[in-house]
Amino acid sequence: MKRLILLMLFLVIGPVARALAASPDEIIQKSQAAFFYPGADFKARVMMKLISPGGQERVREMTMLRLNTGEAGGEQKYFMYFFQPAEVKDMTFMVFKYPAKDDDRWLFVPAINMVRRIAMQDKQASFVGSDFTYEDVSGRDLGDDVHELAREEVLNGRECFVVKSTPKADSAGYGSKLSWIDKASFLPLQEEYHDRAGSTVRVFTADEVKEVKGFPTITKRTMKNLQSGHRTEVSYVSQDYNVGLEDSLFSERFLRQPPKKWIE
Amino acid sequence: MGKKSLVGLSVEYPKTVVFLSVLLAMLFLTQFPKMTTDTNPKNMLPATSAVRVGNDGVEKTFGLYEDMIVLGVTHDQGVVNPGTLARIKRITQEIVLIPGVAARDVASFTTIDNVTMAEGALRVAPLMTEVPDDEAGLAQLRRALAENPLFINRIISPDGKTTAIYIPLEKGASGKEVADRLREIVRNEAGEERYAIAGDPVARDTFGAEMFKLMGMFAPMAGMIMFAVAFFMFKSLFLSMAIMAPAMIIIICSMGLIIGLGYPVHIMSSMSPVFLMAIATDSIHIFNEFYFRFHESGEKKAAILDTMRAVGKPLIYTDITTAVGFASLMLANIIPVKVFGFGVAFGTMLLLLLSFTLVPALLTFIRVDKIKRVTASEDHGTSKTTSLLMGLSRIGSRRPRATLLLGGLLVLVAVFGVSRIHVSNNLVEWFKTGSEIRMADRVLNQALGGTSLAYVVASAKEDDFMKNPAALRYIEGLQRHLETLPMVGKTFSVVDYVKRINLVLHDNDPKFDVVPETREEVGQYLFLFAMSAKPSDLDNVVDYPFRQANIWVQMKTWDAQAMRRVIAAMDEYAKGHPMPIELKPAGIAYFNLVWNDEVLWDMVKGFLAALVIVFIILMVNFRSFKWALISYVPLLFTILLLYGVIGFAGKDFDMPISVLSCLSLGMAVDFAIHFVGRFRLRRAEVACGESLADSLAWTAARPGKGIMRNALLFAGAFSVMLFAPLTPYITVGAFIVSMMLLSALMTIIYLPALITLMQGWLLKGENCSGD
Repeated sequence: MKRLILLMLFLVIGPVARALAASPDEIIQKSQAAFFYPGADFKARVMMKLISPGGQERVREMTMLRLNTGEAGGEQKYFMYFFQPAEVKDMTFMVFKYPAKDDDRWLFVPAINMVRRIAMQDKQASFVGSDFTYEDVSGRDLGDDVHELAREEVLNGRECFVVKSTPKADSAGYGSKLSWIDKASFLPLQEEYHDRAGSTVRVFTADEVKEVKGFPTITKRTMKNLQSGHRTEVSYVSQDYNVGLEDSLFSERFLRQPPKKWIE
Repeated sequence: MGKKSLVGLSVEYPKTVVFLSVLLAMLFLTQFPKMTTDTNPKNMLPATSAVRVGNDGVEKTFGLYEDMIVLGVTHDQGVVNPGTLARIKRITQEIVLIPGVAARDVASFTTIDNVTMAEGALRVAPLMTEVPDDEAGLAQLRRALAENPLFINRIISPDGKTTAIYIPLEKGASGKEVADRLREIVRNEAGEERYAIAGDPVARDTFGAEMFKLMGMFAPMAGMIMFAVAFFMFKSLFLSMAIMAPAMIIIICSMGLIIGLGYPVHIMSSMSPVFLMAIATDSIHIFNEFYFRFHESGEKKAAILDTMRAVGKPLIYTDITTAVGFASLMLANIIPVKVFGFGVAFGTMLLLLLSFTLVPALLTFIRVDKIKRVTASEDHGTSKTTSLLMGLSRIGSRRPRATLLLGGLLVLVAVFGVSRIHVSNNLVEWFKTGSEIRMADRVLNQALGGTSLAYVVASAKEDDFMKNPAALRYIEGLQRHLETLPMVGKTFSVVDYVKRINLVLHDNDPKFDVVPETREEVGQYLFLFAMSAKPSDLDNVVDYPFRQANIWVQMKTWDAQAMRRVIAAMDEYAKGHPMPIELKPAGIAYFNLVWNDEVLWDMVKGFLAALVIVFIILMVNFRSFKWALISYVPLLFTILLLYGVIGFAGKDFDMPISVLSCLSLGMAVDFAIHFVGRFRLRRAEVACGESLADSLAWTAARPGKGIMRNALLFAGAFSVMLFAPLTPYITVGAFIVSMMLLSALMTIIYLPALITLMQGWLLKGENCSGD
């Protein structure tokens, strides 16, 4: 009898618990933690190829440093040092990311030896001319969208949640987003951005996932703009977690003269 | 001989002939369901033509669009006020949802990027994201608009009263459909703003669509008028129908043939029904002569055979010359022009066949009693028309020198007029002055930099060359040089972005409103700009490897001449400023220039070829160089006078007029062929029993009446076009109406004058020419 009750309880609670585990907000939250916040810090040498519809390429090569200064979903600091294109060598870019408020951004222009703060209200602006937006690089606030679980399906052999996120504000650059989130790693394996009329505008794909220090990491990714035919391919030449970045690195002084050991 | 037996057979078995003719028409009619249409005048140049391939390349390299619509918004107190700004925002939001609009590159207050320095921070962001709700915000927006040279004349007029939204179209989208949707959107906005919708795709696609509609309307209307005029002339319902029958058959067959061969019905071939209907009026000479003959003999079959014997030869030659006029268009490079020429030439030759078969067959069905009554008036000694025609011919034959002198003077004046002809093709001007499209274009061109867009592409031989300060200064110089042209209202290029960033980074110190000194500065400024601007901002002005730069040139007129001058100025600058950079024109305005030249010169080429061939045909017809020359005179005279008038009237020599040249050639010579042919026949018949003046008077009264009837019928059919809402139709209508009347008059007055004056030379063969 006791067993039967337990079994019945299990039968009733099981699905409920599974549903709870699969709450769309939670999925997105876990996904953001896995995608943008793994480790205490992160360092990567990034190759970015901007490819025109005609197949012409522009290359951006940089070192990207990230330090988590808060919880997953909280504050972060980013530092970027550019190697390519040739005439922007030594240019650096720093972002203090705050949830629910505009980020602070600074840029060092070596040709005129000047650091400038950069005001940026539009997080959906293109990141260094690529098909990625600033938001794609550093994440979007969880509460900016209404998330719903559209379905669960297998993508390229991986079990995925398919979550539909609809921006609450109509100032967003798109109408809705569908994310295929790997049930195991919680990394987004594919994303589709739809315009308000419902047609797909941009498609993100995770092309290579590697485990780095125990963190599943997307080391190759592509963002394709279906309307313009333009696409951007990003690959990590090298990457590492918990390298011991210090908060003092993220300052105007180092923006002008970044320590070699962190950028090479 | 063959043709006589053809007529004989047709008179013998009229029912079979009618049956076969209807069968033929039915056969071609079966092709109609396959009809496809193409209303885009752009497709007159094939997709493989150099200019289209070149433009496609430039569009791909710089992420540009073939077509752009401009929506102007005007408020008399200035557009920077909360109400108007809210409307601009709302309208822009709706525009990006229109199918066919390239939403991501719509340029409006809310989407165009601005580079500013505010509170110590560099800001690259859309000019206006939210409508400012206080006076401070409005003042700031006003300042932002006024201080950025990238905006003035582009999205804001210098007086601040007009703004524009630039709406690029995806490939294949219809400018008319988007424009119609835009009209709906702005109609829903109550307010004091005025809106103007302009741009080449609006004019082009509206014109194409309107043209089809008009043709569908005018062809039946012209037919009805012809029917009514014919009825008025012959007072017989049956005869009027007999005149229309060949016209209907050749229209069906020639359209059926074009469709059957798989060609889409293009705006050009959509004109062929009206042309064929007009050409079919040639069969009126048969009816005209038949009335005389029947009146004289009273015997139907004999009258038919006699009629065909008399008018047969002129008919053959008039139809051949007309067909040649149109077939000459087949020398054109442009396929729709070729198809049009081929279709009409085919229809004309078919008409010739019908004139010897169907028309005589139909005549046999006429009831003798009825025809006797109506032909009673066809005695050329009595009727008013006849005496008028004879009188006209006597002006020429009595005072040949004075008549010719007057003609000579007219020709001189006409030649002067022709020399003033301005060759141009301005699509927007194909609409009437008061039309919405014309007004919109005028308003926007007065307020802003211009609705006509061209590009100048600067190409270097190595990558990254465009980051070179020297290259940028070269481009800047070119922009200033092009801007000295009065019709160039605005230019912009990558230089404007670089200068803007230089200025803003240095806290708006005017010293830095220049191209920076080093390549690093240029590269870093552009990188900085690209970090936050829309990718297309930079893509539109430089290519990926920075080897090419694209300079936008806005012009205030669609006149092809403006583009020609831009190219001349561009070449001049290149010559004066040596630099390893090659400059090339592109864009829709450049396309229009090439289109204009190609279409126009194809027509002129066809016209010149037809001039020669028609002369040869005349020589074959008359077996005489002298008579060919004489019958050429009314043709040349008519064409010269008409073009003289066009020159004086300041009307542009454009596409519709050049098409008419070919038509006019084939038609204007017809009357002279009839006149000379019948005159010589008359001289042979009467031998020396009639004075020259009397023979001329007889010719003027008898075939001359046919000529007059033909001219009136033709002119009547085309006069409907005078009421069209598109100017090319009015031009075509006016041109043809005056051409028919003029060449009829020329034939009846000037041929007698010439023949009288040159009788010694012309009539040498006649034994009694001495008396």
